[in-house]
Amino acid sequence: MVTAASTLLSPAVLKEARRRERRAAWAQTRIAWLFIAPAVIMVTVFLLTPVVFNVILSFTKWQKFTGLDQFAGFNNYARLFRVPYFSEALGNTAVWVVGAVIFPLAVGLGLALLLRNIPFQETFKSLFFLPRVLAPTAVGAIWYYVYAPHGVLNSAVSNLTGTPFDFGWLYSSATVSGSVIFTFVWQTLGITMVLLLLGLAAIPKDPIEAARVDGASSGQIFRHIIWPLLLPTVLVVTILNVAAGFTTFDLLWVMAGDYPGKRTLSLAVYMYYESFSNGAWAYGSAVAVVLGAMVILVSALLALVQSRVTKNIR
Amino acid sequence: MAVDITDRQFISGLIEKERKAQRVGGRWLVVPIIVLAIAYLTPLYYLFVTVFKTSTEYARKGVLELPDSLGPIIDNTIQAWTIAHLGEAALNSFSYALVGGVLAVAFAAAAAYGMTRLTLIGANGWFMLIFTGTLFPFQMYLVPLLFGYQRLGLINSWFGMLLLYVAICIPFPLLVLRNSFASITKEVDEAARIEGASEWRVFVSMIVPNAIGPMIALFLLQFTFIWNDLLFSSILANGIEVRSIMVALQSLQGTYSTLGPNVVITAALISSIPTVLLFIALRKYFMAGLQLGTK
Repeated sequence: MVTAASTLLSPAVLKEARRRERRAAWAQTRIAWLFIAPAVIMVTVFLLTPVVFNVILSFTKWQKFTGLDQFAGFNNYARLFRVPYFSEALGNTAVWVVGAVIFPLAVGLGLALLLRNIPFQETFKSLFFLPRVLAPTAVGAIWYYVYAPHGVLNSAVSNLTGTPFDFGWLYSSATVSGSVIFTFVWQTLGITMVLLLLGLAAIPKDPIEAARVDGASSGQIFRHIIWPLLLPTVLVVTILNVAAGFTTFDLLWVMAGDYPGKRTLSLAVYMYYESFSNGAWAYGSAVAVVLGAMVILVSALLALVQSRVTKNIR
Repeated sequence: MAVDITDRQFISGLIEKERKAQRVGGRWLVVPIIVLAIAYLTPLYYLFVTVFKTSTEYARKGVLELPDSLGPIIDNTIQAWTIAHLGEAALNSFSYALVGGVLAVAFAAAAAYGMTRLTLIGANGWFMLIFTGTLFPFQMYLVPLLFGYQRLGLINSWFGMLLLYVAICIPFPLLVLRNSFASITKEVDEAARIEGASEWRVFVSMIVPNAIGPMIALFLLQFTFIWNDLLFSSILANGIEVRSIMVALQSLQGTYSTLGPNVVITAALISSIPTVLLFIALRKYFMAGLQLGTK
């Protein structure tokens, strides 16, 4: 008996068992490869290869007849800092990110708190959600005429003030970004609100009731109970809207198509304009790399904050 | 007056009174919300009165005035339809969205199966590889895709456009399905395997039916994304025979357009019909899909 047990556990037997296990694992891995192959191939060929190629491209020099075979070092990047269009586009992108985060959150939270305990909540929820179901291009086309000189907004202002008003909201550098951001908020407010309502619904009622009985004001309850518990949802919404703020293209391209300085409206538009309207492929690629680096950096920071917050709550 | 806080009835009476006060306050909140909702929906109201106006009527009347009759929508539709080839574009977009959405979710599901239900050496590495596909902004794909497509002859082709849509719609469903597949108990497939079922059989008849809800929600999200796409199709497939509905819509609008707003806005309405109908019919799945996006 003793000898049998010791041969069972002898190094040779153990090694053999481990080898058999590994062989079985590899056998299953080979089957698993078949399952993951379509996804891996598609993503690698159509998404990851282009990204690598984009980075390489940003270090080349585009010439009309010889193509992209000349390396240019950091020339394209150096050019970014010299060109005022780029810094303007960068500034407007910052405005977009801040606007796309703050307005949906502030208005959406206000709406969610208002809607929380009123009759017909579902109906109102659907109404505010409606614009989200339309395509951004269609929304852009509609709002293009809302802001037009003889459009909805100006005639509303004329009727309210009694004096004719025909301001071109999408033609003035002072109002074009704000107008398109307003449309963005109009379209995405519904989703932000729905997500916040879900977050609010998940907050337990007991501590709120207890605080109220103890004489806490609504403001105190919001600040000390609701807000900390809602923070994870707020962060999710922020992450979604930051990404949208960096990369929104459709609305800008459709609504501000007539604006002479449209290339400076955001980095996403600037990249598109330089690459596909100006044919500056290599330079456009450098803009795309800068945009990508910023998106990834900011998303990583937010993900870090998010993991901190969820850890604290648990 | 002394208050006995140990008196349960007294306390619950207080809470009841408080709740009632809240409910009454709640009822009054409906008024500002209705005002806000009306202002919010004005652009949509504008959409609906405009599609029933003729160009001359649009120029003559106030923008928010009611139309004379419902008739002009037919002429507006015919104009938009023939000038922008909307029918062809709608068919293109519908086929991209349907085939692309189905294939992307199917590929993502297969990959999720391989990563969660089978022993896959290096599963996390493979997952990270695909997940990387969600990190970069679309602007980083554009120029290389244009060059690559030109070289491979995929430019301006239905198939080339479809390939990109499938690829771009894989990473997010994989992220979600990996979680939902992992939450299905192991006994489900182990029992089937002991009975001698192949891995394919286990995948198709045990795992997929268990996660059909999220898969439908994911399909709807991807369908909507592809249908709404303007960016990729404006660069890779803008020929009239292959272009998407959003490119067609955009071609109607803008400075060089001689068409009245009534025609352009009719086209905008037409281009939104499929996703609006899907939303109404499958609201439950749609909302579930949105929540998927937050996990």
